[in-house]
Amino acid sequence: MDGHRTQYPDNSEILARKAEGRRENARATFAEKIAILERMKERVAPIVTAREARRANPGRQPPARV
Amino acid sequence: MTLRKTIEVVTQLAAKRAIANYAIAGAVAALNYIEPMLTEDPDIPVSVDGFEKRASGLLLLGPIEKALAQMGYTERTNVGFKIEGWPVQFLPVASPLDEEGLEQAIEIDVAEPGEAPLKARCLRAEHVVATALTIGRLKDLARIQAFLEQDAVDFNRLQSVLERHNLMAAWSEFCLKAAIKNPLFGN
Repeated sequence: MDGHRTQYPDNSEILARKAEGRRENARATFAEKIAILERMKERVAPIVTAREARRANPGRQPPARV
Repeated sequence: MTLRKTIEVVTQLAAKRAIANYAIAGAVAALNYIEPMLTEDPDIPVSVDGFEKRASGLLLLGPIEKALAQMGYTERTNVGFKIEGWPVQFLPVASPLDEEGLEQAIEIDVAEPGEAPLKARCLRAEHVVATALTIGRLKDLARIQAFLEQDAVDFNRLQSVLERHNLMAAWSEFCLKAAIKNPLFGN
């Protein structure tokens, strides 16, 4: 600590834009939201499959990371 | 295999009277009100009245299972029936809150633009929130927060539901946990 106070940027505008984006998404139709949810489901499918495989073979070690 | 088709099958079960009153609940019902939220293992809870009941109190899924089999859906998962690739849980009405939610459910149109309308029953926002409050896992509380942030709930109606079902203390606790000012009247 050198006694100086770090000046952090004000990110409130970014957070406000994100909140507005969420409200905008909330106004989509049910059918549009279903399409978004299905894309999300596809994206996480490999993670879910890997988790199920781990559960099926609890003794098996995951591959080492380099 | 789409969620829309899954919901269509649920509406067909209702039309065949394999299920009585029903409503889409949980995260899929929340879709009608807030932005889609990622769930790793999404399922579709469907609150259902009219299960076959034994004198012992046991609730049987037999009639639903039979109707689904006639429609070609025989696969079961650890959370329910697999319909068009989505696990569907048929949950019995288990509380006065569930019962009220089912009675007051609204009809929504799940059809894509240009398709014939497909109406399905869905819990009102206030009942989705109140039910999430009673379940109380972190993801349920996060869902409630999303309803608040996205102006997706009618506070007067929510307060009525919470008061009727003795959930005001749980609501205050939620507001404390979420570090938000209680938005309900008189708080």
